[in-house]
Amino acid sequence: MSRYSLLRALASNRLSLVGLILLGAFALAALLAPWLAPADSGVTFAPLLAPASGHLLGTNDLGYDLWGEFLHGARFSLFLGGTAALASAAIGLLVGVVAGYFHRGGFWLMRLVDVLLCIPRFPLIVLMAAFTRPGLTTLLVFFILFGWPSVARIIYARIRAEKQSEYIAAVQAIGARDGRILFRHLLPAALPVAFVRLVAEVQHVIMAEAGLSFLGLGDPTMQSWGMTLSHASRYPALLLTDVWQWWVLPPGLAITAVCVSLVFVGLALDPLANPRLRQE
Amino acid sequence: MAAKLGQYLLTIWIVLSLNFLLPRLMPGNPLAQLDNPQGSPMPLSEEQRTRLMAYYGLDKPLGQQYADYLSGLARGDLGWSISSNAPVLSVLLGRLRWTLLLVGTSTVLYVLLGIALGSFSAWHRHSLVDGFLLTVTSVAGSFPAFFLAMLLIVVFGVRLGMFPLGGAQSPFLLQAAPLARGLDIARHMVLPALALVLTNVGEVYYLTRNAMVQTLGDTYITVARSKGLRERRLLFGHALPNALLPIITLIALRFGALVMGAVMVEVAFAYPGVGSAIVEASVSRDYPLLQGAFALITVTIMGANLLADILHGVLDPRIRHAA
Repeated sequence: MSRYSLLRALASNRLSLVGLILLGAFALAALLAPWLAPADSGVTFAPLLAPASGHLLGTNDLGYDLWGEFLHGARFSLFLGGTAALASAAIGLLVGVVAGYFHRGGFWLMRLVDVLLCIPRFPLIVLMAAFTRPGLTTLLVFFILFGWPSVARIIYARIRAEKQSEYIAAVQAIGARDGRILFRHLLPAALPVAFVRLVAEVQHVIMAEAGLSFLGLGDPTMQSWGMTLSHASRYPALLLTDVWQWWVLPPGLAITAVCVSLVFVGLALDPLANPRLRQE
Repeated sequence: MAAKLGQYLLTIWIVLSLNFLLPRLMPGNPLAQLDNPQGSPMPLSEEQRTRLMAYYGLDKPLGQQYADYLSGLARGDLGWSISSNAPVLSVLLGRLRWTLLLVGTSTVLYVLLGIALGSFSAWHRHSLVDGFLLTVTSVAGSFPAFFLAMLLIVVFGVRLGMFPLGGAQSPFLLQAAPLARGLDIARHMVLPALALVLTNVGEVYYLTRNAMVQTLGDTYITVARSKGLRERRLLFGHALPNALLPIITLIALRFGALVMGAVMVEVAFAYPGVGSAIVEASVSRDYPLLQGAFALITVTIMGANLLADILHGVLDPRIRHAA
């Protein structure tokens, strides 16, 4: 259950390798967006141009370059998904480990987690978004607020089970302090589970942002794949002419590709968190 | 079970209180946002303003507003919809049957399909078909529901002309014979339901597959096999019923995601359900309708979760006796 087995699980699986390569490509495109995009995002051209050498994906009805929007969308989606998921995983891991180890305080902490988990999170985010029309920062807050409890729940269960192991009793018997047991033994045991949740969470956040934006509940000036799709869906003749091929297809397929990649990576990691799936 | 029920009631109370508090926490008050000239596509008439003022009861103290809100909810009074100029409850109930029809049909289809494919995969684990199914369902589940909906509209609606591009029924068939009308409604539902089934089938498939793989490895299956039971009996009589337990929980847990997927699919197909109502309410800033839809959806989702907990207890004696 070390870093080594994590890497080996990823590398030994063909699908997860495809996923990692795709994710890497999108991350690179996102990083290089300012250099790959032809012009500043504020510049407008002739509306509804078909793809050509100057505009790889043409322009939309307002004359914005769609290739530039696509690249900046990659930036937005990956940054939002990555940051929100990392923060949720870190908070959840901390809460789960501490609550699992210190049972008395942990019990009440977990009741709070139970209540938070019980709230259907996407409808609540929709309601909050309808009132606030969130930009990047507000979205981050929303997703972290509702993301960490599921991590905490699963880590808590893992720690409670791990605490019963004989080696923990042995470590306690030789007089190890709480901090050492927590960070040296219990935390590493819980890491693979947290990592699997992290991957799922990135996917959830990217999907949820795209959905919110599509419903028209985001800040309209935000440059995300979901927002591009939302603008496109408001163009009346969208699906009757050819424009959807370079307006709808690239961001839609990009969201799908990123999510598929994360699923494949998650599938490869699943046996780490769930030993019963390991091959005999 | 009592503790579970208490937890659900507590959560419902918190969510409904948030529903009450959120618009009041916004800068200014809910009316200030509605009066904002560039933010509001629909200027309010004097009558609407009075109605809204009365709905929020903004002139009363906060505690009184809260008590009024709760007692209104208890009486099924969700307020007055600004854009439809009708009680929120009746607007939502009119929409709800379409959503229930769509979500209900899709749920039955995706669950049955997922269980069938998942069992098949587990039985033929590590075969080519298993790998193929795993890949296809993962890819299908990674499509945003609304994007898949748009693709289905382009391919089957625009290009092939096989199904209508949107809506729930043809206006000119409203007075037609029941059979013709039913067929028309079914034809309108094919693509939205397909979008929901495809985006949701993966989870049930994967869980069934894993549960079956685990169950098939259990010792009692080995015992049953060594008794000389036929493979089919083994699969459907012994393994599947045990594997189904976590699936019931999953369906309930997924119900929220399914409803939100339905919201997006409804918007993409201009299907007149609760989901479209949420977006219309948000565009026209019809906050009472928005909050009513939120209350309805949340309580429904939590009801589904509670039902799953109860079912799980009924079906699994280990849980029944532990509680």
